[in-house]
Amino acid sequence: MLEVRRKRLGKLLVILFISAVGISLILFSLNSKLDLFYTPSEILSGKINSSSRIKLGGMVKANSIKRLGTSTSFLVTDFQAEVFVKFEGVTPDLFKEGSGVVVLGYFKDQKFSAEEIFAKHDENYMPPELEIGSQSE
Amino acid sequence: MIGEIAHFFSLSAALLLIIILLLNTIFFFSNPNSNQLILSIRLFNQSCWLIFVSFGLYIYLAITDDFSISYIASHSNSQLPIFYKIASIWSAHEGSMFLWIVFLALWSLLFINGLDKNNPLKKLTLIMLMLVILGFLLFLLITSNPFSRILPFGVMDGADINPILQDPALAIHPPILYLGYVGFVISFSYVMAYLCKGNFKIEWEEDIRAWSFVAWIFLTVGITLGSWWAYYELGWGGYWFWDPVENVALLPWLAATAFMHSLYASSKSNILKTWTLFLGIMIFSLSLFGAFIVRSGIIDSVHSFANDPQRGLYLLGFSGLMTLLSLVIFAYRIPAINSSKPVITGSKESFLSMNNILMVTSIFSIFLGVTYPLILESFSGEKVSIGPPYYNTIFAPLILIASILIMISVDSLWQRKMLARKFFRSIIPTFILVTSIIYIFWYLIKEFSLLTYIGIFSGLIILVAYFIKIISSLKAKEYINKGSAFAHIGLGILFLSISVNSLLSYQKNINLSVGESLRINESIESFKFSNLNVRTASNHDVISANVFVLMDGVSVNLNPEKRKYSTRGQITSETAIHATPFKDIYLNIGDQLEDGSWTFSLKINYFVKWIWLSSALMVLGMVLAMQKRKI
Repeated sequence: MLEVRRKRLGKLLVILFISAVGISLILFSLNSKLDLFYTPSEILSGKINSSSRIKLGGMVKANSIKRLGTSTSFLVTDFQAEVFVKFEGVTPDLFKEGSGVVVLGYFKDQKFSAEEIFAKHDENYMPPELEIGSQSE
Repeated sequence: MIGEIAHFFSLSAALLLIIILLLNTIFFFSNPNSNQLILSIRLFNQSCWLIFVSFGLYIYLAITDDFSISYIASHSNSQLPIFYKIASIWSAHEGSMFLWIVFLALWSLLFINGLDKNNPLKKLTLIMLMLVILGFLLFLLITSNPFSRILPFGVMDGADINPILQDPALAIHPPILYLGYVGFVISFSYVMAYLCKGNFKIEWEEDIRAWSFVAWIFLTVGITLGSWWAYYELGWGGYWFWDPVENVALLPWLAATAFMHSLYASSKSNILKTWTLFLGIMIFSLSLFGAFIVRSGIIDSVHSFANDPQRGLYLLGFSGLMTLLSLVIFAYRIPAINSSKPVITGSKESFLSMNNILMVTSIFSIFLGVTYPLILESFSGEKVSIGPPYYNTIFAPLILIASILIMISVDSLWQRKMLARKFFRSIIPTFILVTSIIYIFWYLIKEFSLLTYIGIFSGLIILVAYFIKIISSLKAKEYINKGSAFAHIGLGILFLSISVNSLLSYQKNINLSVGESLRINESIESFKFSNLNVRTASNHDVISANVFVLMDGVSVNLNPEKRKYSTRGQITSETAIHATPFKDIYLNIGDQLEDGSWTFSLKINYFVKWIWLSSALMVLGMVLAMQKRKI
């Protein structure tokens, strides 16, 4: 009887050990693969690690889109601060001046190099973080 | 007037369901009476028909452009072809919820009337089905009424369906996906009826096997259609984005796949009984969770519907309550279900159980990926998003282990230990063959990335193991399970093609004026922008570029477009794709610059066709497995 119990305990410990390892691996991976979301004011207040990939959300400032060859640059604003963004490639159809945008990339030397631009399916879309900001406008 | 009649029918359906449920509660303590069951079913059928007729009338309203109905006014338009007028019904929240309920009623009606009249679980199943339908019907009528009118006068013309949704694949994608999602209400209700009944000698697996197969097939086809549409319509060149809404479709799919496997083991060798029951509950709970995530607006996704806290709260309450109650009943009943024949190590069941554990692990990881940003934001206020890198690192090891298990299990037997001789006879050649293929591949490509090579290795060992198995069983004229072989070969091709695609595909951004041409690289010798055409279609204007790409000695004509839709003023792009068996030339036109030149993004995507093929093979495998009866 004791033998059976000891075996059962051993099995239980093995299962617990494997799940603990598994879950910590998942959580570890989760923490290193997060994309933190910032507004322009938050980005300009400093503290951004230039080697971590982040998301920046805001409005594309009117008359700020400049295209040269295949690269596009524009200003993202939250009506308090603005960040200069550079992007290489074709911009999405819903990307236009005066509408909401989220860009994914790196912030380095006061410039944001975007790898991806997200403009939403819905043309009435605005990043939720900005709704309050624009209503007070 | 017709709108009010349709609304009235839906209300009556809900009322009728409440009456049947009340009747059954009142007579719960009296002796089981077959007349009472027959009456309940008859009333239930009528209630389902009320829902169908109501939906039929709604389709009529959409076709006849009744823009006094506010939902139709904001999602349809008189200029639309009839096909899209109907499809506009499920292009947003209210109408798609209505369709969801219609399918719930349809599945339930077919299942309950097909059950034997002496089936001991029939009554409880009926009650479960009615509770689910009623829950959603009340949700529709209370929080998201599709019949509400614009008073006193309707608008002249509708606001139109979102242009990127005006596409045949997308018009049929939601109905097929919903048929899959909702189809698992059958296994859920039957499992719950079995657990409530408490007579564990009843054999329940066979009654729902075919139903779960069909639901799984719809779910798979639905997900693939969505992915295919995203590939050619959105112009991002990808087919899967690990978007929260895609993830919540994958959750029930994984649970359902695990369920199909363990259902097989459960009915075949009487093991994993409780586990199968648990999965039966989980699939539908995850479908409900998905409905909550998509329709509450708490996540930020390309698919999410408009924000409405009331809807979110109702759905959270409903899905939470359903899941919690089912799990409580499950936990209460577990000790009484004695199924536990031990699983023999090395038998087919043992591999199947281990892969089941892996599938649940992946469900957990995806679930965490979807909910973690929500949890973090509510506790710390930090906003984060979780993208492909997380899922790729999580899935690579899971896929590797799963594939090794599949490879070993190819030669294993039900309820018997695997012979060591057999084990080595197939494993060693598989490993040697796969390693050499990968070495040759690396030698030719000279590119390396650990995650993609794990994927390639995983895909290949499955394919090679099945290849050896098929050859040897053809030689020895042995039996081979065709359904399982097709489905797993499909899975192997899926892993392989996804990995090769991510390793080899590349993108070039191009800036050219009309008449100019450009050399891109060794393989794409010339890219010629020969002219630009402008034309007008029924509800949009088109700018179409005429481009000739000379790739590997073959000249291909591509016509990417920009469209401007008249009603909404929205601009969309149409990707031009030239698909060959191994690679797709994928071209998008961008914006016009001040000097009159245009930008293009050219993508060369490898093995995309094989991804669709893999899904087709899995479906084919399931169809074959479905036809096979229990031996």
